[in-house]
Amino acid sequence: MSFDLPRTRESVQGDAIEPGRAYGFFTDTTLCIGCKACEVACKEWNQLPAEQEAMSGMSYDNTRELSATTWRHVAFVEQMDGAAGNADPRWLMMSDVCKHCDPAPCLEACPTGAIFRTEFDSVVVQQDVCNGCGYCVPACPFGVVDVDEVDGKAHKCTLCYDRLKGGREPACAQVCPTDSIQFGPLDELIDRAHERTRALHDRGETDAYLYGVPDSPGATGGIEKLNAFFLLCDRPEIYNLPAAPTLPSRRIAPAFGASLAAFAGLAIAAAALLGGGRR
Amino acid sequence: MTRQDRHTLRDWRGETYYGQQALKYPHWDWKVSGYIAVAGTAGAAQALATLGSLRDPEGLRAARRGARLMALAGSTAGAAMLIADLKTPQRFHNMLRILRPTSPMSFGTYIFGAFGGASLFSAFAEGPAVGRRHLLRWLGKAAQLVSGFSGAGVATYTAALVSATSNPYWAAAPRSLGGQFAGVAVAMGAAALALWERLGGRDATARRFEKVAAIATLAHVGASTAVNKRLKECGVSQPIEHSKPQRRLKASSLIIAGAAPLVGYALSAALGGRAGRNAAMAGSCAALAGGMLMRHGLLEAGKAAREQPESGFALAQPMKGDDDGH
Repeated sequence: MSFDLPRTRESVQGDAIEPGRAYGFFTDTTLCIGCKACEVACKEWNQLPAEQEAMSGMSYDNTRELSATTWRHVAFVEQMDGAAGNADPRWLMMSDVCKHCDPAPCLEACPTGAIFRTEFDSVVVQQDVCNGCGYCVPACPFGVVDVDEVDGKAHKCTLCYDRLKGGREPACAQVCPTDSIQFGPLDELIDRAHERTRALHDRGETDAYLYGVPDSPGATGGIEKLNAFFLLCDRPEIYNLPAAPTLPSRRIAPAFGASLAAFAGLAIAAAALLGGGRR
Repeated sequence: MTRQDRHTLRDWRGETYYGQQALKYPHWDWKVSGYIAVAGTAGAAQALATLGSLRDPEGLRAARRGARLMALAGSTAGAAMLIADLKTPQRFHNMLRILRPTSPMSFGTYIFGAFGGASLFSAFAEGPAVGRRHLLRWLGKAAQLVSGFSGAGVATYTAALVSATSNPYWAAAPRSLGGQFAGVAVAMGAAALALWERLGGRDATARRFEKVAAIATLAHVGASTAVNKRLKECGVSQPIEHSKPQRRLKASSLIIAGAAPLVGYALSAALGGRAGRNAAMAGSCAALAGGMLMRHGLLEAGKAAREQPESGFALAQPMKGDDDGH
């Protein structure tokens, strides 16, 4: 590649970012302190406009949700009354992001080929191809991708595709002060995440589990894994995540098949009736 | 390890994240529900007329002509609505860059394209220029066959278009929804042709199409009941139950698309004569209007589901949402 960007990850960590290898995020919510540096770094690097109009009243979360112009979102869950069955009050924080699913429902739904899988196994919307049909929006089981009303194109996290090409890790991961957001090769990340879960269990945090690694909640219904996966400490719904998302394309055959069968049945009846008694 | 993780997960007690939406909802508006209704009607009409012409070419000559014109009008209007609904409409041709079997939006474009092309040809073959030129008339018949087949596809693929999403209201009952879409499309196509025949003074053939419309209406009502039952089972009926306009839209579309045509056709058979003729035409108009309302109600209900994030979470519980349960 002819990029002359400093390959910081290689020079600092001795760990080059290579095309052809699967990369992703491991977001360890037990380390998140809710500083929102990831949100700011993402907006800055990707030059995304601010969109906040008012206080939400939802703890410290005034961002509310991921959108076409917000690609990192820190959720704040206050469990102060032990309602979730915990003796001690606790404060859950999670930096949410596009899951870069494998296979990806948005990519499967995209009729123009604008959404594609990159050489880093991330899922990116090509802005010069998208025609704003909006089908990826209801396809996404996590409510991530959205069409921007201003430019009429679909937008979401690109896993900092431009930075990866230049050998730098995504802006949110680089800025995260507690390493709650970890970027790296997926196989290494998954091993590290399992290790971390075991360590937490040993320390008595037995609620900890992984969301989105193969054979876990989040990686269900035909979605084999989420390239951006999470370590959570309560039900996925608490963090606004579905427990068992499904691949929408699985429903094409039953819906289209049943519809064609019903149509054929009615057509047979119609053929009998439309003959008008002629033999 | 991971198996154990799943076991330690406590049961979901209906919690949400401050009631925030967990899914994004489509930006589609009346143009998409209008497309589904208009293209479905045109496709079904062309399929019915093709079938009818095979059984009774002489008696249904006028109906075939009507269906060819409806197919042309429907595919033109449908294409216009689809393009107008894009947020970057000048790039509509990007739909033709790829063919993707996992995307009903993609393969549906090709089904609809085939229908539009064949319909254009079949309508052209009805023109005066064709006259006695056998080759052109033969080509017109071939185009009608292609148009009839692809018309059936246009009337039905839209069930997959809405089912193959993560919207709980659309995704919970793919099979029953498929039956519902086929039923309402055939009812609307037959009603449109029945109206065409009535307006042309061909009451005998109109009655045949009215019978088809009545049967399809029954199928539509049956499938709609199955959809509602399945939604309840999955716990995703809230957007309808909680919103008054939604409830009204749904009730009125079921009455107009279901009860009104059946009553109209029954009255027509009982009364006969001029009054019977009017009752039948009113029934056909109700089938068309009710079908449009039903398509629009489905779109709006899907958008309204955003107010109830628990609907999406309920469908996305393990062992649910994967299957229709039939």
